[in-house]
Amino acid sequence: MKVKPLGDSALLISFGEVINEGINDRVHALARAIEKAGFEWLVEVVPAYSSLAVIYDPTLIDFEGVKRAVEGVEASAESFEGELVEIPVVYGGEYGPDLEFVAKHSGLSVDDVIEIHSKPVYRVYFLGFLPGFAYLGGMDERIAAPRLERPRLKVPAGSVGIAGKQTGIYPLESPGGWRLIGRTPLRLFSPERKPPTLLQPGDRVKFVPIDEEEFLRLYQEEWGND
Amino acid sequence: MIELLRVPSLLTVQDAGRKGYRKLGVPVSGYMDDFSARIANYLVGNPGDEPLLEFLLGGPTLRFNASAVFAVAGDVDLRLNGVPIEPWTSYWAKRGDVLEVGTLNNGLYGYIAFAGGVKCEKLLGSCSTYARAGLGRPLKAGDRLNLGHAILTGKEGRYLPEELRPDYSAEEIAVGVIPGPDLDHFTEEGIRTFLSETYTVTPESDRMGYRLDGKEIEHSGKGAGIVTGPLVPGTVQAPASGRPIVMMRDAQTTGGYARIGVVISAHLSMLAQLRPGFRVRFREVNVEGAREELLRRERTLRAIRLFLERNMRAYRVRIAGEEIVTFAKVEKEG
Repeated sequence: MKVKPLGDSALLISFGEVINEGINDRVHALARAIEKAGFEWLVEVVPAYSSLAVIYDPTLIDFEGVKRAVEGVEASAESFEGELVEIPVVYGGEYGPDLEFVAKHSGLSVDDVIEIHSKPVYRVYFLGFLPGFAYLGGMDERIAAPRLERPRLKVPAGSVGIAGKQTGIYPLESPGGWRLIGRTPLRLFSPERKPPTLLQPGDRVKFVPIDEEEFLRLYQEEWGND
Repeated sequence: MIELLRVPSLLTVQDAGRKGYRKLGVPVSGYMDDFSARIANYLVGNPGDEPLLEFLLGGPTLRFNASAVFAVAGDVDLRLNGVPIEPWTSYWAKRGDVLEVGTLNNGLYGYIAFAGGVKCEKLLGSCSTYARAGLGRPLKAGDRLNLGHAILTGKEGRYLPEELRPDYSAEEIAVGVIPGPDLDHFTEEGIRTFLSETYTVTPESDRMGYRLDGKEIEHSGKGAGIVTGPLVPGTVQAPASGRPIVMMRDAQTTGGYARIGVVISAHLSMLAQLRPGFRVRFREVNVEGAREELLRRERTLRAIRLFLERNMRAYRVRIAGEEIVTFAKVEKEG
């Protein structure tokens, strides 16, 4: 465990430049333990793959003080099992305009891609990039696909995409260069809800294929006439 | 209530920012220049973090539909019912009065504060606008904003002397930077370049990040990419192009480019006010030095607040030929 300053109001704890579940478990265990310790100078903790930032109020404590405090925190070794969240997805068509590209690129049929993508239980390593965007681990490499050469200017919220060996869901309408294979009617980020994100770090995700009719029904429930 | 009649540029409600949601990917946001914004609030007798209006370059024209006390922070021409008035000063406005805020002569962001603050629905604990995620939206002409309740008497007529105002006229500034956690992704030459060259703010800069142009920063064999890790406002990332990007208040919470440094908190507002085409140099500071600078700045802000509340006097003194402003407590009589 390496501890370094990230500016004068944050400290970065790193367990190495790696992506694996064991390391990520340690990140979340330590993040939770620091949050629980009730330090008055703590602003918040931001976990990522293999590192976490401890944001503190520098008017209350200095870097060495925070360093000593976090090094004294005992994180429990048990791994954290989040919820299993099922995410309905309508694959292909206007909802997943790149599904056929991914199939062609992988040398598979469209049905194979859907099956391979919806089979695993993905792990939410952490949230970042955009509010509610989950970094998912565990995609089958057979369906890996390169990013678009020119990112789309507008990707609808709920779009499910593939970029390299990663898969993910756009929580908000935004520009984006991922290959879109489908779309979920669920809202990944809604500020008026508690918690505001559908997924939490440590959760597990399973994609469930649905048809367009089901999508439209669920979409109406989630978004109303928005 | 106030009504916006004309909105020439980006106008948003901001406060000290959103805390506690970064682990869900929600940026901090909040005012780009906390120094000016906090003084604007102090001028109208608010705590420093009360929601106020932030404008980019050009200010709005607005009408008061009820009495209010307001102040504008920024080097800008102002008119109240067509009569020129001063920035950095609090005024009483009556129902029907129209305030016209011109274009900043210096700096990029200006602030309009109201006694009692701009009333807003707090989303995730803050009024700060982060439109991309539906957390508020940029304001437009026709919008009406309610103000919080406040006793107005005694809040008007507060004035910040010129020598206490931040000066954002310099076309080149130096900001303190703490070396970043990914120095092993850069060659020694690359780090030297970063700490000795002058970089120019490009027009592709916004509340999320300032893109800089200048001599390329050389990466080591490890390259520009890192395993995606946390970012804070002030973080300087150097992507493969070698041109640094400084993350600002709307910065994403995590990123995948090597972090070569982090601009110190005390200087981030100075950088925020640097116009496109203007230049910045990064000077290395250690984390203790950065904290001292921040504490000094906090003391200055506290003294300015007490001065505006008339519990302190400001004096000009000459020390070793240099004129500085110092504060002394007003002794209560009787």
